[in-house]
Amino acid sequence: MQDSTSFSFTLVITGAPYSSQAPQSALGFAVAAIRAGHRVDRVFLYGDGVHLASALASPPSDEPHWPREWSAFLEEHGVPGVACIASALRRGLVDEGEQKRYELPASNLVAPFTIAGLGEWVEGRMKSSRTVYFHGTD
Amino acid sequence: MSTLIVIDQPPYGGWAGREALDMAFSLAAFDQPVSLLFCGAGVNWLRKGQEPGQIRQKSVEKNLAAAPIFGVEALLADGDDCSRYGLGAEQLLDDVTLVQADSQLFANYSHTAFAG
Amino acid sequence: MSEIQTLHILNKSPEHPRFARCLSMAGPEDAILLIENGVLGFAAAAPGGTTAKLLALAPDLAARGMDIDSRPVETIDYDGMVELTTRAKQVISW
Repeated sequence: MQDSTSFSFTLVITGAPYSSQAPQSALGFAVAAIRAGHRVDRVFLYGDGVHLASALASPPSDEPHWPREWSAFLEEHGVPGVACIASALRRGLVDEGEQKRYELPASNLVAPFTIAGLGEWVEGRMKSSRTVYFHGTD
Repeated sequence: MSTLIVIDQPPYGGWAGREALDMAFSLAAFDQPVSLLFCGAGVNWLRKGQEPGQIRQKSVEKNLAAAPIFGVEALLADGDDCSRYGLGAEQLLDDVTLVQADSQLFANYSHTAFAG
Repeated sequence: MSEIQTLHILNKSPEHPRFARCLSMAGPEDAILLIENGVLGFAAAAPGGTTAKLLALAPDLAARGMDIDSRPVETIDYDGMVELTTRAKQVISW
């Protein structure tokens, strides 16, 4: 049965992959939201959640590769993924711009994630029908 | 669309509280109504005389004192939890309002969130 | 249950302080969806201390070897979780 109303979601992930279920639960939710005909406006990574945007994650081949799974979802559905700049820089998640700015030896943000401020989260909350948070276990 | 940001974890040992404070300040910067609720071990954010220099961190006292100036509407603290952690009126920062953290309180806000 | 005032999403184990706090904060017009470690709240018996409707996410129960047939708990999947968030006026993740 198709919903008569289509909702839009901002998803906030604050739990890291391989330390919590947050990325997995959020992906299960996101896929189900699309399946139900809703829209995912954006995904915002905050706190330890920024680790989901690491291009350098190398889990064993028989485990899900969470950054790649999320990259694939974002690209398939044209959903922006944003890592909060304050959280990301502290934890060593940087894009090329931040690498240059801080003269760091490398950048490691996996596409299509970008780095931006909390303003993206504020905007998401204002525009989306629902904002759903996926936290870690601490 | 008034928001309540809840801090239930103590300062300095973890970062969830600082991240919650950033969320509240961002909302205020965008002129969104927001209040902070401290409960559980989180009430320890509100103790006067914090000097974390020796553990290489910045004090949150100044940020919290500045909260009303930046547009955060209220600093709320659960009264029972304050008692549990020995926070009487003299130990508490100024401008803290004691409340009962119950479902009635949450009903006043259209959005409630933890930072992590 | 058609009208949900607040949907509480609780992923913390019963040992975590937020578990008891969430249950005490939820009212009779609310629903609490236990996910991840939160489903352990159903391990022995349905958690007491709340008038809210309790549900559990089936994949998290299955992961933890909790056979849903022997437990009187309403279980849903991710599709059901999405539907709950659209039905509730507010969603709080603990």
